[in-house]
Amino acid sequence: MGEEKRIRVLVAKPGLDGHDRGAKVLALGLRDEGMETIYTGLRQTPEKIVQAAVQEDVDVIGLSCLSGAHKYLFPRVVELLKEKRMEDVLVIGGGIIPEEDIPFLKEKGVTEIFGPGTLIREVADYIRQNAKPR
Amino acid sequence: MTEEMEEIKKRKQEWEEKVLKPAVDRFGLKESPSKFYSPADVEDFDFLTKVGFPGEYPFTAGTYAMSPYMPAPRRGIPGASGLVRAANYSGYGTAEDTRDYYKQMQARGQRGGPNLAFDLPTQCGYDSDNPLVRGDVGKTGVAVDTLKDFEVIYEPFQGELELDRIASNFTINAPANIIMAMYFALAEKRAVPLDKLRATPQNDILKEFIARGTYIFPPRPSMRMVRDSIVFLGQHCPHININQLGGYHIRGAGANREHDLAFSMAILVAYLQEGVNAGLDVDSFAPRFTVNAFGGSMEFFKEIAFQRAARRMWARILREKFGAKKDRSMLLRQAGLFANMGNENCTVQRPLNNLTRSMVGAIASALSGGMPIPYPPYDEPLGLGWSLEASQLSEDGFKILQYEAKLTEVRDPLAGSYYVESLTDEIEEAAWKELDRIEAMGGAVAAIESGYMQREIAKSALARQRRIESGEDSIVGVNCFVGESELEVETTRLVPHPYDPVRREEAEERQIRSLAEVKRNRDSHAVAQLLSELKDKAKKEDENLIPHFIECVKAYVTEQEMCDVLREVFGEYQPVAL
Repeated sequence: MGEEKRIRVLVAKPGLDGHDRGAKVLALGLRDEGMETIYTGLRQTPEKIVQAAVQEDVDVIGLSCLSGAHKYLFPRVVELLKEKRMEDVLVIGGGIIPEEDIPFLKEKGVTEIFGPGTLIREVADYIRQNAKPR
Repeated sequence: MTEEMEEIKKRKQEWEEKVLKPAVDRFGLKESPSKFYSPADVEDFDFLTKVGFPGEYPFTAGTYAMSPYMPAPRRGIPGASGLVRAANYSGYGTAEDTRDYYKQMQARGQRGGPNLAFDLPTQCGYDSDNPLVRGDVGKTGVAVDTLKDFEVIYEPFQGELELDRIASNFTINAPANIIMAMYFALAEKRAVPLDKLRATPQNDILKEFIARGTYIFPPRPSMRMVRDSIVFLGQHCPHININQLGGYHIRGAGANREHDLAFSMAILVAYLQEGVNAGLDVDSFAPRFTVNAFGGSMEFFKEIAFQRAARRMWARILREKFGAKKDRSMLLRQAGLFANMGNENCTVQRPLNNLTRSMVGAIASALSGGMPIPYPPYDEPLGLGWSLEASQLSEDGFKILQYEAKLTEVRDPLAGSYYVESLTDEIEEAAWKELDRIEAMGGAVAAIESGYMQREIAKSALARQRRIESGEDSIVGVNCFVGESELEVETTRLVPHPYDPVRREEAEERQIRSLAEVKRNRDSHAVAQLLSELKDKAKKEDENLIPHFIECVKAYVTEQEMCDVLREVFGEYQPVAL
């Protein structure tokens, strides 16, 4: 077996929310789990996030939002990925996401939501099991 | 060294060998899981220089001589007051939604001014109709685009609750001067003079770059805005707190305790210097700086010591670095909550446990000189807004600790505790060391421009996460004591929230429509003229922009229109890489 390609993850902050402790911790933590991570910084529109995903050729997009704008922003990212024919990119989310919004987000193509208290290794394991390296 | 101290040290050594060690050995441990502090741990302790009396330098024992939070003597039994405090951070959807919320709360007995939460577009200088901010309008707070929104929000605050009879709080930071200009213009319309206004703007932009994220302009032009507020508010508004420093945000973003204290103090120093550079006497404006609850974590004694260290350090900075003469300049004034649990330590798992945690924080607050407020309400992390049930529990918890447990009867009850005094020294010393390092870098602004503070905070946040993952740090119900045998205690909400979820869904569209109407009805020629004047004035470093902001808002120039002009002149902040 040849050298395995590293999984590439884009950690993104859609919208104006400035709470980036979780996003930064995850970006640094997944790096230690052997993945390549790119952190977008704050205030990204869904368009900018998808553009970054294309440019960086990522396998996974991790969206973090604590402002309550996830119901618009997360599905919009999935939609734009579809337009770019990149539906094989795994989209996961985290932040302050009320329980009742999770089924809606999953239906829209966000495959998993990781709330507060999630361990880095749980996210890493999920990504390893579900990402389809491109 | 006194004979007594010699004796104590000798006895301590004997105790460690003859009493402690056998106990440790008996349980097969490497070291004792608990510690004991004696006078030997605070050898150079001097009551008058380290603690002093409450309300006297160095203010370790308390900002004021008496607890400002003692219940007034009452006759008979206090009636049900309901949720009387207006201080709950609030703001929902559109201006109309927030107006109606305050009307409802007033019907429940709330008095006093609003503590306004603004939505993120407002905090970041964008109008509601900007496609870039779609999804964020009216979330986390109320959308304010023009003076019209302020006029609507403040409809319930008239007559007995007129602007000169209430105090308003604004968590606004980057566009603080524009929002204050709206408040001034509203006051003018209602014939309330500026010198009668009471308000506290959170006008602490530097911590936005490292902790909270609602920056607009780069640090240096942002500091000019801070200078403008120090000068303008100093001249015209004697009852407005010039700046409320963020306080807990830096810790919330992940900073450790020592960095939190040092970064906060470095930021304070930068603001004070800005006023001094403008030619003001430090005693003329320093008394009007306040702090929103400082620090915060579940480590009870350390947070109490942190508060004591912070008071002492603040006082020393004012006196020694800035040569302040007035005691009032040296006071670290906080809104009410002092030591606290730290909002970020709320768990979404078994959320009622947050009530227990917030009670721990409330007790720490009281023992460090503040009000025993169990904060935040337990449902903070659910992302649904605080329920009235949770707010009521917070309110009652406060009353129980005050009236039943009588926690506010004694000032600084832990003064003289060998442990707490030694902790206080330790935290202060570490923070001074870090503050000196930052000063050597050129101060807070330079340490933010280089990304030093941001990187240190991210490092500490990751370190904390590692400790949680390894089990070194425990969070009950999250990384320990979880499993099938544990009950998942859930919470239900039976009282409907005052903000109707249907209105919430439609808020963005309604706000965009009302902004369009304001734009249709204003004199667009005047708007263009004012904006072009703003550009000229912004280019002149010495110009104070607040008077012109007031003219702009009166003509219903939008917040973003003003911010866009400033973006052109000042540039926009670009975050540093991790």
